[in-house]
Amino acid sequence: MEQIIANGLYLGAQYALIALGLTLIFALMNVLNFAHGQMYVLGGFVTYTIYAQLGMPFVAGLLASAVTLAVVGAIVEKFLFRPVIKRSLREESTMLLAAGIAFFLDAVILLAFGEKQRGVPKIIHGVLNWDFRIIMPYDRILIGALAIAVIATFILYMQYSKTGRAMRALAQDRVAAQLMGVDVNRYSMIGFALGAMLAGIVGGLLVTITGVNLGMGGPTSIKAFMMVMIGGAGVISGAIVGGFILGMMESIGLTVLSQYGDITYLVIFVTLMVFLSFRPQGLMGKPWG
Amino acid sequence: MEPLLHLDKVELYYDHVYALKGVSIDLNEGETVALIGANGAGKSSILRAITGLNPIHRGEVHFQGSRLDGTRASDIVKLGIVMVPEGRRVFPYMSVRDNLLMGAFTRDDKAAIKQSLDGVLHRFPRLKERYSQTAGTLSGGEQQMLVIGRALMAKPKLLLLDEPSLGIAPKLVQDIARSILAINRDEKVSVLLVEQNSRMALSISHRAYALATGNVVVAGQSKDLLKDERIKAAYLGGEI
Ligand SMILES: Nc1ncnc2c1ncn2[C@@H]1O[C@H](COP(=O)(O)OP(=O)(O)OP(=O)(O)O)[C@@H](O)[C@H]1O
Ligand SMILES: [Mg+2]
Repeated sequence: MEQIIANGLYLGAQYALIALGLTLIFALMNVLNFAHGQMYVLGGFVTYTIYAQLGMPFVAGLLASAVTLAVVGAIVEKFLFRPVIKRSLREESTMLLAAGIAFFLDAVILLAFGEKQRGVPKIIHGVLNWDFRIIMPYDRILIGALAIAVIATFILYMQYSKTGRAMRALAQDRVAAQLMGVDVNRYSMIGFALGAMLAGIVGGLLVTITGVNLGMGGPTSIKAFMMVMIGGAGVISGAIVGGFILGMMESIGLTVLSQYGDITYLVIFVTLMVFLSFRPQGLMGKPWG
Repeated sequence: MEPLLHLDKVELYYDHVYALKGVSIDLNEGETVALIGANGAGKSSILRAITGLNPIHRGEVHFQGSRLDGTRASDIVKLGIVMVPEGRRVFPYMSVRDNLLMGAFTRDDKAAIKQSLDGVLHRFPRLKERYSQTAGTLSGGEQQMLVIGRALMAKPKLLLLDEPSLGIAPKLVQDIARSILAINRDEKVSVLLVEQNSRMALSISHRAYALATGNVVVAGQSKDLLKDERIKAAYLGGEI
């Protein structure tokens, strides 16, 4: 039991962070970023390059992932989404654009890093063994703690900084925010960069545990959408709740359901469909709060 | 003396709707000017043209002697023009406090912002009582106080108000009207007031323009317009 909860928390923290990035972008721009998973993968490869290939400290790799993805996010917003949103009246346009960016990033990753699974040296060795009730490698504990620290920092930033407040305002009422002097273009770009950066950070964190490969992008996006749907699109608390719920469900599935075969995700998807048919807005469905 | 705000034959259209057909309006420093007129006359469009929310297609807007049209909405706020849009539009999931702080978004001086905050809470004690409450849960009248307070947090030279009495209990309309008078007198903020409640608007403004289908049809001193037969017939008949 304790083991399931510990695994769930560890996974949930990573997932919540991915979902936060996706939901931030959605709340600010009404864009479903299908390329979110690819951004996560790119983050993993950047940390892999800096830490495993170049032998620099892990922290340097993580920072490089964050910065790279922030820059990618800013560029994607400014040169792709902004003009499309400005010219197009149909929401499908941004969806198609996002899908296109996902394929494009896949191609870039293939070209730059190849299609092989890549792993990195362990960041710390050893395993915590608490009376055989919880057995967890130290590196997982560290990565889980780092993810929770990033989540906490993000929440504090959104809640108490001027920039965070402006982004919340923009998500809640675009026109009113503009009338208070918020530059929509500038803050959409900051928000997109921040959302992409979160994906990149999780990529950099998780590469130390699961490694990274090209094929992880699509499935990661789908998981991110699921979490956001569970919690309610565009809500901070919803993304976090959705992330931890999915993490727990996976953890339970891997321990309890795996004896019946590989049915964890089957059960999760069925549960999600039933849940959404009752509560389509998700648990905390409302605009950004 | 040069007017604070000057609209010169402003024309504005939406896709196929010709909303402003050459509107010229002046507002002098320290004045409260009312814009009255029926639904769809173009009152809100004038405010949207001034704040840059909608681009104008012909004519010019001048503020403090320099050209305003073409400037981005977010930059116009920095010049000291702040609009309270129609329908209140608080940030519904933010606290009263955060809403007010958003009003000071373009300002940096913490001490001066604090001073404005104290001023707004003093003017609207109800907001003080509700300080940590989520804005979406306030009553309509309280929300109207909040959006006016939020606009004051920007330290405006010119305040644009779009139908502040809309959907508010009659007793509160009086309060709002008094607040507008006080803001104009005490804080030396010039006010451009859009209202369907023409009697209220004319009783707290210095001058007024009456609009019909995108044109100014009558203009004059508010106290004269209150007695004007045309205005009485068109705008004051049913009300009160
Ligand atoms: N976004 C828009 N798209 C198309 N037409 C619009 C738009 N906004 C306003 N209009 C039209 O422009 C004209 C003027 O509208 P405006 O909102 O300025 O009127 P108003 O005097 O403020 O009316 P009300 O008293 O109803 O608020 C109306 O005919 C309206 O239907
Ligand atoms: Mg209007």
